[in-house]
This record gives sequence, C-alpha cells and structure tokens, in this order.
Amino acid sequence: MNQTMSSPFDLPPIPAPAAQGRVTFSGRRPDFRRLVIRGTALELVTVGFYRFWLATDMRRHLWSNTAVDGDAAEYTGTAKELLIGFLFALAILAPIYLAYFLIGLEAERLKAFASIPLGLFFYLFAQFAIYRARRYRLTRTVWRGVRFWMTGSGWSYAWRAGLWALLSLLTLGIAAPWAKASLERYKTRHTAYGSLQGRFEATGWSLFKQVWWLWLLAWPSFLILIPLPFIYGALKAIEWRWWVSGIRMGGVSFESGLTGGALIGLYWKVIGWSVLLMIILSAWFGGVFAIASLGGAHSIDEKFFLTTQNLPALFALGFGYIVVALTAGVIVRIYLTRDVWQRVAESVTVQNLSAADDVAAQGHLVSALGEGFADSLDVVGF
Amino acid sequence: MASDAAHSAIFLDGRSNRKRAVALRLGGSLDIVEGDAAIESWPYDAIRRADGPRQVLRLSCVSALPLARLEIADAATQGMVAAYCKSLDVGRAAAGQTWRIVFWSLAAVCSILLLAFFGIPFAADRLAPVIPSVIEQRIGGAVDKQVHLLFAGKTCDRADGQAAFTSLIDKLKRAGGMEAALDAQVLSSKIPNAFALPGGKIYLLDGLLQKAKSVDEIAGVLAHELGHVQHHDNLRRIIQTGGTSFLVGLLFGDVTGGAAMVFVGRSLFDASYSRDAERAADAFAIDVMRKLGRSPKPLGDLLVRVTGTEAGKSVTLLSSHPMSEERLATMSKDTYEGVGPEILSAAEWKALKGICAPSK
Repeated sequence: MNQTMSSPFDLPPIPAPAAQGRVTFSGRRPDFRRLVIRGTALELVTVGFYRFWLATDMRRHLWSNTAVDGDAAEYTGTAKELLIGFLFALAILAPIYLAYFLIGLEAERLKAFASIPLGLFFYLFAQFAIYRARRYRLTRTVWRGVRFWMTGSGWSYAWRAGLWALLSLLTLGIAAPWAKASLERYKTRHTAYGSLQGRFEATGWSLFKQVWWLWLLAWPSFLILIPLPFIYGALKAIEWRWWVSGIRMGGVSFESGLTGGALIGLYWKVIGWSVLLMIILSAWFGGVFAIASLGGAHSIDEKFFLTTQNLPALFALGFGYIVVALTAGVIVRIYLTRDVWQRVAESVTVQNLSAADDVAAQGHLVSALGEGFADSLDVVGF
Repeated sequence: MASDAAHSAIFLDGRSNRKRAVALRLGGSLDIVEGDAAIESWPYDAIRRADGPRQVLRLSCVSALPLARLEIADAATQGMVAAYCKSLDVGRAAAGQTWRIVFWSLAAVCSILLLAFFGIPFAADRLAPVIPSVIEQRIGGAVDKQVHLLFAGKTCDRADGQAAFTSLIDKLKRAGGMEAALDAQVLSSKIPNAFALPGGKIYLLDGLLQKAKSVDEIAGVLAHELGHVQHHDNLRRIIQTGGTSFLVGLLFGDVTGGAAMVFVGRSLFDASYSRDAERAADAFAIDVMRKLGRSPKPLGDLLVRVTGTEAGKSVTLLSSHPMSEERLATMSKDTYEGVGPEILSAAEWKALKGICAPSK
C-alpha cells in the first residue's frame, strides 16, 4: 500500500514552466480511516442520522487536502444544511409518493403490472436530484477565496439523461460514450469558477476509441467473471482521464496522466474484503440458524420457520447484517472514495493556470434541497 | 499587549482570487497590511478557523466577506495569532455536539417507533371500517389482475358446481351476519390455498378443494376468509404496511443501517400483526360453524393435512398463517359436536369438488 505520502511542501521546486500547475493530495490515510470508522459507528448509534455529518467531514477532509498549484481547496458546506435539505425533501416527496401509489393502483386495475413504467419517473427524478446535488456541492467548493457555481436546469438535464440512458440500453452500451460526453457538456457548460466559465471539450468519439475493446472483452467475461474487475478498473481509469482532459475553465485546461491499470488494484481489494465479509456473515447466519432451530426441526423449512418465530434470533440476524453492511460502507469509502480521489487528483496537471490568476467572485449559494432528494432516493455521490 | 512585529501571510479578499502578500499587525485588532496601508482590520473575537491543509492556518472573519481568507504558513506566526484569537474554534464540531446529535437521533427514532407500533395500527383500525367500499373494491381490482397472472388460474364455473358453491357461500354469509357484497370464485390452481382480497373478493384454489374430505372442511376455510373480509384485514394491512414502510423507509432510507432496521422491524411487526388477524378470523370461522350447527374441528383437520404432509414444500398456508400449531390446538380443543343438518347435500358436495373438471 502506498503509505509514504510526501507533503507537497517538501517537494523540490519543479523545473516546469510557471503556467503549469500540479494537483497534489496531502491527506493522511489513517486520518481518513479514523474519520470514516468513527462516523460509521455513530451512524449505527443514530440510526443513520449521522450520515450528514459524516459526508460533510469526508468532503472537508478531501477538499482541504487537495491543492492546485499549492493552494488547497475548501469545502464550506455544513451538515446542518444537509439535514435541512433532507427534511424539506421529505416534505415534498411525501405527497409525491402518495400520488405515485394511487396512480399505480389505477394503472394496475387497467392491466396487471402496468404501474412499472411509473418507476421511470423516479429514474428521471433521481437524475434531477443528482444534478441539483452537484450544484450544491459546487457552490460549497472554494479555491483561493472564490467559489464555484452552477446554473442550468435539473429537469432539462434529467430529460437528457433519461433519453441517453434509453439509447445506451438499446445499443447495449455502444452509445454510452456519447451519452457521457453529452451530459458532461451540459453540466460543465453550466459550471463556472467565479467569472471563469467552464466548458467540456472531450467528445464521445474520443472516449469510444479508447474503450471499445473493453466493451468487446466484457461480454465473454460475464461468463468467467474473473476478468471483470480488470475491465471495470481500466474503464474507470480511462473515463477519469478522458473526463479530466476534457474540462476547460476559461483559458485553463487540464490533463491527467492516470494509467489504465491505476485503479484495478483498488477494485480487487474491495472484492477481497467483500468476500471476507460474506464469509463472516454466512458463518454468523449459519450459527444463529443452528442455535435457533435446536431441537425438533428436521427440514430446512421447519428450521427457517422456527428461526422466524424467535425474536432474539431475528435480532441477531439483523445485527449481523447491519454490522457487515456498515463495514462494507467503510471499505468502499476508504478504497473507492478516498483512494480513487487521491490517485485521480495526483494524476492531474493544470495547463495555463495563469488564466485563472485574477478571477472575480460570482455566483450565489444554493440550498441543499437537491442533496436531500438524492439522499431520499439513495443516489448521493460522496 | 500590542506588538509591532510584522508577520507575513497571504490574503484573499473574497472579491477576487488574487493572492495578496500581506503583513499582519497584532494591535487592538488583527490588521492586514499591504505595502504601507492597512487594507482590513479583523477583530480578534470575530476570527474563525477555516478548513485548510495541515501545515497552513487558514482564517476567516465573521465580520468580513464570507470567503475572505487569511493563510498563514509560518508556524511561529500561527502560534502567535492563535494566542490572540480566543474564538478560533467557536461553533465548530465539539464532543458535546456529537452527543447532541446522538440524543436527538434517538429521540426521533423513539417517536417514529411509537408512531409505527401504536399510531399507525390505531389509525388503520379506525380507518379501515369507514373507508368506502368503492375504494376497497378498486384496490381489490388492482390486486385481482396480478392474482390471475401469478396463479395462472382460470375461474372454474361448471354450472352444477357453481350452484353448490354459491349456496355454500350464501349459508356462511347468513350465519356470519354479513351484508357486504361478496365475490367468491374457485380458481383452477393446484396450490392448496385460499385467500381474500380487499373489497370482498374470495378465492378458493382447486388444490385445496381436492385435499378436502368433507364439505365442513371447505366451509371452515371459507368462513375463515369471510372473517378476513368482515374485519377489513386486507385494508388494515395495506394501511399499516404502507404507513410504516413509508414513514420508516423515507426517514432512514439510506443503504447502511436503515434498510436493515426497516427489514427487521417490519418482519417482526407483520408477524405479530397477522397473528392477531388470523386469530380473529379463526374466531369468526368457529362462530359461523357453530351457528350452522357444525363442528369447527374439520378446519383444523384440513390445516393439519395440508401443512403436515407438505411442510417440506414451503406451503403458503404455513408461511402466511403463522402459529398454526396454536391455531390447530384452539380448533381441536373445541368439543362442540355438530347437531345441525349437513351444509351441502352429498350430490352438491360432489358437484362442488368437480367444479374445475372440464364440462361434459
């Protein structure tokens, strides 16, 4: 494991042209691990309410340790904002859920299972929420005393995302690079850093050229499974590299030197941990079943029945499940949030940074309502 | 305690991202000096710590622009400034705050649990009888389409069998004192089961009909389902599970602990609830059979036959009707001996059993 992290301030001066800036990450892994484990334990105690504080702490750690050209970013969002956004989202979603239930009921009367297309509405709503959540996070992102901000409409993004997802599905994923490029273009051209307007210049075709062979390899791999983490890891690395090098903020452009294999190890580590957790959970479940069905039961069904009638056994099963689920959450946050963040961030170089030397502050803060929706629909990023 | 020593820092004024090299003067307040001019003056007790990398002390000021920042890299200067600013960490996460979050979360959980376990069942009990039967029938209609698909069963309607079935249902209805509209059907499915849907729809599956040895057994089962209809059990269940899952799921709807808590809580809760509903439907069935002058015991016999011989095949009667041992005991202990006339004649019973046979 790459634990020898040198601080950016100890680095020898880089003999590069002054216009080029480097992105560095100075966060210490044990700090993040402690933060996540403590936060997850508190999530357990507070039945999930602590998630707003944990998410905020994680972002503060990641943002303030990520520096562009030596200047670290800052996350100014607070957990209270997230909590309030969530409560508002709850109040708005409640009647929507009720309407969804009633409409579904009427649809079922006309034709069995006719209510399934209503699920599509929630897909679109989730896309809307994702857009608005991104907007919240951007307006809380500050670099050199100036914040990022975002305009655009969550709904017009949701429609695009829905149509592109449909097209990607129909073409078995071939259209996915163009879908990604189109959606990134929409998001980035509505993004700004102070008075510096963003745009996205990478194309679907350039992504397709880099990933088509992974698409071909993926189909036979679904049968033997082993190559899938390699393929997925490579795909993600290529996507990150392509995404970073497509971003423009005014005259500033970015470049990523992320290699195709940079993330594969992380995915394997997560898989290894998951297998271990599954073994532990199976042993725990097996033990509880064995103890709960002692005496009398012969068939599997009878054992199952006896266990479902046994309150302590049900609690033991539930507790085991929760602990394993929370542990899995810790692992995913360490490897797939923090480690991926670090590797991607450190791979980035910034070209022509002097174009961002005198940027005027602009843009207003937006509420965390979008994050609240995303939280209710389980689609929040980190 | 004024100090004239100048300390260097980087100042970001919150209007642009220009990094201004400044000197700090620690006088009556923290003066930010560029060249010779003091460009800003921050009162010590308004200065707060802002997030930054470990090596840098990043400051903000509540009375300045929200994004104005002062960045001090020199350790000695950091220490000196920190000594002056007593309110550096006011309003930041402290141990007490964490305990407050824990406390209020637990309070919220208690309130939700009380609502889920007492409030919603109470509301369901009060609401179910007063909801217009039109609405109940609409809900039943929605489920009905799925039932037909899931059991892939056709409605059996051989004329003589249908006549016997209608007569049986009518007698049970009269004995139970029911006035609501009923729509009972036999479905040609091999699964031994019977169930009621919201709005007075009752289905008897042919599999159970074939397992029955006497008309009293089937009468008992149908009386049990009539009990569910009479008590609006389906509607109550819909209101209850809908209400609790809505409440708990929305509030704790995240992937980590919440989903599992909902799962455990719901299964415990559903089990205890359906146990009560089953007991009440059994009591109704026993009462109806007694009024018809028949012993309720055959219902128990049928349950034993179905669950006993097919326990290994995950029988729906067992899983959806928990605590069947206790229920069997209740019925077999009932020593009431039938004194009334047979509910159906031998010929009618034969016709009923053949209701799903192809028409001659």
